[in-house]
Amino acid sequence: MMENAWLIPIFPLVAFLVLLLVGGRLRERGAYIGIIFTLASFMLSLLTLMERFSAPTYKKTLEWLTLGGTQLTAGFEINQLNALMLVIVSLVSLLVQIYSLGYMKGEGRFSTFYAYLGFFTFAMLGLVMAPNLVQLYFFWELVGVGSFLLIGFYFYKQEAKAAAKKAFIMTRIGDVGLLIGIILLFWETGSFEYGEIFQAVQSGVISDGSLTLIAILIFVGAVGKSGQFPLHTWLPDAMEGPTPVSALIHAATMVAAGVYLVATMFPLFLASEAAMQAVAITGGFTAIFAASIASVQKDVKRVLAYSTISQLGFMMLALGTAGYVAGVFHLMTHAFFKALLFLAAGSVIHAIHTQDIERMGGLWARLKWTGPLFLVGTLAISGFPLLSGFFSKDEILMAAWTNGNYFLFILAVITSFLTAFYMFRLFFMIFAGESRRQAKQVKESPAIMLLPMLVLGVLAVISGYIQTPWFGTFLGEWLVEGNETVLGAAHSEGPAWVMILAVSVALAGILLAYMKYARTKLPREGLVKENSTLYRVLENKYYMDEIYYFTIVQMIKGISLFLSYMERFIIGGLISTVTGSIEGMGKIGSKLQSGQVQQYGMIAFLGLAVLLVIFALTGGYLR
Amino acid sequence: MNAYLLSLLVFSPLLGILMVALMPKNEERTIKQFGFFGTLPPLFLSFFLCSQHYSGVALSSFNIKLDWIRFGNLEMYDPKLFTVNFELGLDGLSLIFILLTTIISSLAAMASIYIKQGWKGYYLLFLILEIGMLGVFTAENLILFFIFFEMTLIPAFFLIGRWGFLEREKASYHFLIYNGIGSAILLVAILILFARTGTTNIAALTQMMTMGGVSLFAPISSSMKYGLCLAFVIAFAIKLPVFPFHSWMVRVHAEAPPAIVMIHAGVLLKIGAYGIIRFGMGIFPEQYKSLAFGIVLMGVISFLYGALLALVQTDFKLVLAYSSISHMGIVMMGLGALNEAGLQGAIFQVISHGLIAAMLFFLVGALTERSGTVMLPKLGGLAKSMPVFSGFMLACGLASLGLPGMSGFISEFMVFLGLFKSQPVLAAISVIGLVLTAVYILRAVMLMTFGKNDSLVEKEKLDLEGWEFIPALVLLGLILLIGVFPNLLGGPLQGTIEAMMLALGGR
Repeated sequence: MMENAWLIPIFPLVAFLVLLLVGGRLRERGAYIGIIFTLASFMLSLLTLMERFSAPTYKKTLEWLTLGGTQLTAGFEINQLNALMLVIVSLVSLLVQIYSLGYMKGEGRFSTFYAYLGFFTFAMLGLVMAPNLVQLYFFWELVGVGSFLLIGFYFYKQEAKAAAKKAFIMTRIGDVGLLIGIILLFWETGSFEYGEIFQAVQSGVISDGSLTLIAILIFVGAVGKSGQFPLHTWLPDAMEGPTPVSALIHAATMVAAGVYLVATMFPLFLASEAAMQAVAITGGFTAIFAASIASVQKDVKRVLAYSTISQLGFMMLALGTAGYVAGVFHLMTHAFFKALLFLAAGSVIHAIHTQDIERMGGLWARLKWTGPLFLVGTLAISGFPLLSGFFSKDEILMAAWTNGNYFLFILAVITSFLTAFYMFRLFFMIFAGESRRQAKQVKESPAIMLLPMLVLGVLAVISGYIQTPWFGTFLGEWLVEGNETVLGAAHSEGPAWVMILAVSVALAGILLAYMKYARTKLPREGLVKENSTLYRVLENKYYMDEIYYFTIVQMIKGISLFLSYMERFIIGGLISTVTGSIEGMGKIGSKLQSGQVQQYGMIAFLGLAVLLVIFALTGGYLR
Repeated sequence: MNAYLLSLLVFSPLLGILMVALMPKNEERTIKQFGFFGTLPPLFLSFFLCSQHYSGVALSSFNIKLDWIRFGNLEMYDPKLFTVNFELGLDGLSLIFILLTTIISSLAAMASIYIKQGWKGYYLLFLILEIGMLGVFTAENLILFFIFFEMTLIPAFFLIGRWGFLEREKASYHFLIYNGIGSAILLVAILILFARTGTTNIAALTQMMTMGGVSLFAPISSSMKYGLCLAFVIAFAIKLPVFPFHSWMVRVHAEAPPAIVMIHAGVLLKIGAYGIIRFGMGIFPEQYKSLAFGIVLMGVISFLYGALLALVQTDFKLVLAYSSISHMGIVMMGLGALNEAGLQGAIFQVISHGLIAAMLFFLVGALTERSGTVMLPKLGGLAKSMPVFSGFMLACGLASLGLPGMSGFISEFMVFLGLFKSQPVLAAISVIGLVLTAVYILRAVMLMTFGKNDSLVEKEKLDLEGWEFIPALVLLGLILLIGVFPNLLGGPLQGTIEAMMLALGGR
């Protein structure tokens, strides 16, 4: 199966092309083309993963671009991480496409939507199969375009337009860092292939300074894509896209690409202490930073968006503290429960047509399926015992503790508390309390939307059991198999109280949210008043957008305007001088053509006189 | 047969000229058809040459050399001295440029359907222009090159000045003055070389300048070589153009008819790059090497300057004009990198920008035909009324900002790869431009296609239709083809690039 794995991204590409060409005529039936092709991808991914359990890594490359003596190749590779990612991506994509059949019903550009989804799925699958950095970058940019197209799907909405542009440009800033990193790495190691790069890194031919520089540049790419501080501002705005898109791209797959990149380049990062520190600190800071914002947002999708940023920060923290397995494990569980949460949120939005959680409430009784599923997702992300998020978060905390980075450990614990708090705040505000709408208007979503949520719900519960401290660490052992020296242990051992602490803070967070938002025992304005400075700072997301606007954006605009004045006056002046002088010469020339023979004769005579003088002075021919 | 194929190719537009010339001037439809058919013989001949190349025929077998002009009578020394032959030749580099010329000419002839009056004169000049362009890329000596080069200027001058938009006459005047200055510098350099060496054959000159062959009359001192190299670089930098010689080109982009801008941005500007590679780098490799830093610097300034100015334009044509300056900056950066990656990237960028600019201006033409304006504040929401057009526009914009899978990525990637090796500091400064490019392109394209539809009332049929799909699809197809299979373009170039690198002394 593995030698045919190149077909996995090709299927959705075909769906994209077919829908682009004939989609207009197919209308809603176009969706089935997308679904069938993605199903094929998923089946093939699953078979590939099965085979990869027993078979060694498979790699196949062809010549792509000749550059003097260097051959750049294109191909694909199936190692443990890739195989796992293929299944996650194709599965979530498939479920989202099925869900969209219900969610997007009545949309006029149905086939375009599925075409874009197909394109994105193609790019994302291509990204995770890439065997070298150039190819990775190739698809890295393409997923950005997929994201851009889908965020801007409602192109006539001003917000969607601005969000799409912002997403593209903010990630592009990161991408430029990645590009430089790749280029510098090439000149240091002479190759773009992962294997050869890691060999060169381990043989120590690269100086520490440039190693750190390269690793950090590559990490900048990951920061952009994964919405890490300070390039995170595009991700909340990206929620302007349709909700299924948010579930697929801005929760489960594309934003995890940054984490995937760091995981793939792990041996490089490991070789530089400073780079690892940078990854861990950025991740840890982003985690708590975004969690604090999520605690006060009032738009259900924005809360989830900041939650995603925070969880991605968690994964970066794990990788930065040498927890390779922990990071990848959390990537997987997060993909399932966050996609579930987004789809459930979509189901709520579908039912009551608002995203403002202050206008929701009391929906538990109305949404008999969505409610419990949302609860499962909320419990999983909060780290409630025995659900998937519990095990993966535990793994991260253990990694941070064993790495000896106690400050980051404390940061992570506080973030865990905040996570449980804001997620249950969200949950209670939507589902608990009085119903604020007339009951008749609220209807549960159709089965076609509930089914994918159910699948994700089951996965959000059970997917943690492949890596637990009690029943074995299958995932970890399989992931690091053959690379133990580089990737580290399959499981971080730590004191038992870490787990107890994690559970207690999660429960404390849930309890606080319960008191404030479900029972209203505590006033909602208890801790932070709504008109306090802190609240306003949080509500305005630390004014990051404003800071960027008034510094970088205005500066560039200023430079551009200055240059356009320069263009008009200085360059313009230069031009008029040139054209003017030529015109002037022409005028003088035409004036000389006066037609008066006396004048001509005088000029001829003068010329002769000058020549004679020269002749006399030099005494002969010019030498 | 082979020996006459090139001459046949270069002069084959004459057939079209003859047919158009014999038509009465009011026969709009027939003239347009003949004008378009006139571009087909060179197109097919260039395809034939290309297929010959891929089937293994040596390109040099198409070279032709005939006695033409002889100056003076120096047979006692060497009968070859001071003769100018009629000699055309072909190598990988010129083959690529010829293909670019013939393809874009045919598509631009198609896009000339939008021309409203004076068809006869228009197509006559158009086809003469094509002869000039084909000649420039095949000329084997400097005099012949110069003649063909001038042959492109004059038709272009009239085409801009007569068939352009409101300020067309001013634009064509600026075009003539600036290109005239460039030509003057070029002519002086060529004449000095000819007077000192007795030959203008490019291969012979390259041999002489690099191997230090003794010339008969006056040896060329090292400082003179610097001067000549600099003269060539400046003459062609005006043509390319780079900052600060760019403003004539901005006017031409804004005022010339879109079909002519397809040619202008697609091919004519590229003569600048071709000239720098052939004459600056080719004939004076030693001197060129020491100018490299300045060339890269000019490139970086153009790259950033063009991008920053494109950011604040309100006329879409001006956005594209400054974008062209910016993209030509990338060419200069690659040419100054002095390694394989840089040079190959620069050539790729030339071809890639040719295709992308031609496509963008084709779309500008199509939009002007429908809306009468391409002023960004007046447009918006085209994705609703013209979804196919908007799709092409977005795809083309993405190609222009260097999206992988499209030709622009390959070239930018290679240029930066090369530049980071040889000039890491300048390269690091210039990467800001990659972000700026994304900003200005998305701004412009999204102002047009996204948002609410305020400007265009939904007329009966607005979107692209019929023949208009051909230029759009062909150009987009080529852009994608190069982007996905870059070796298709890289293959024929290998020989030329290797030879250049050898002369420059290593990678």
